[in-house]
Amino acid sequence: MMPDTVPPNALMQTLYDSTIGTTIRESATLFPWIESVHVLMITAVVGTIAIVDLRLIGVASHRRGARQLIVDMLPFTWVAFVLALISGTLLFLSNATGYYQSMPFRFKLLTILIAGINMAIFHMTAYRKIGDWDDRLPTPRAAKIAGFSSLTLWLVIVFLGRWIGYSYPLA
Amino acid sequence: MSVAKFANHLYGTPLSTAIRETSWIIPGVQSIHIIAIAGVVGAAIVMDLRLAGVLATDEAPRAVAKRHLPWMWSSLALLLASGFVLGLGEPYRVLMNPVFWAKMALVLTGFVLTLLFRYPILHPDYRIEHTRAAALVKPLAWASLAIWVAVVFCGRWIAYYQ
Repeated sequence: MMPDTVPPNALMQTLYDSTIGTTIRESATLFPWIESVHVLMITAVVGTIAIVDLRLIGVASHRRGARQLIVDMLPFTWVAFVLALISGTLLFLSNATGYYQSMPFRFKLLTILIAGINMAIFHMTAYRKIGDWDDRLPTPRAAKIAGFSSLTLWLVIVFLGRWIGYSYPLA
Repeated sequence: MSVAKFANHLYGTPLSTAIRETSWIIPGVQSIHIIAIAGVVGAAIVMDLRLAGVLATDEAPRAVAKRHLPWMWSSLALLLASGFVLGLGEPYRVLMNPVFWAKMALVLTGFVLTLLFRYPILHPDYRIEHTRAAALVKPLAWASLAIWVAVVFCGRWIAYYQ
């Protein structure tokens, strides 16, 4: 499939030609190393966020209280997310023009954005009243919805990420 | 029968051909494979860091293992099942690849460490300080975590090392 709707993009070409982009593209080993770090960080993000999401849905975890579990896990999620973002940016720079045109890539970024909004809504609503439901199971409906949405979105993000490598223009 | 012959035989089977020729199967199963290792890594972070004395040290090791070990076993089962489908579809890519065999050795080591040092924690009378080889619990917790990290790296490198 050759999309003809995407115009050549000057910014993407500049990023493609950047020193970092060119170095990664022309090295035989940099891309796989950075990609391995990227996958590892995604496993850490998904693995730790799933523990919190499952607790929000109502699965008991090693902490009785949901708040303490969130405090336990979120530092790992955040550090892994930042490292996934940095490694992902480096991978993107190695072929900016290609990734820019990739539909799974665009949908992946969009889904990450939605996951971020979902998390922000949770923090502004159910999390504000966590004192009321902290150690109670089943969890309130708002927490269940937040957990289920987050888990679904992150699983979709993994699928979209893998699909980038199997679709035009990167396959 | 040599590994190459076996791979060749497997490659020719209708099931292997079907997996390869259905465009969405391999990326789809690879995604499930990544989700499975994410489950392993998540459970390993909590259990290993608890035993290493970093995370949730005010909770009993048993409380932590009770909640996370079942997820570790299920994730490993899903990892194995999805990996099996991938190997069936592209036998040459894995069976003839030293990185794949290194990965298998690491997974086996991680599995044995989990079985020997995580499973006994579920016993009601388990106490870290009274366990056999108590001095090894902390270093082995770090080793276990390092093993799962190495498994992820090997997994990605199978695609590049031919």
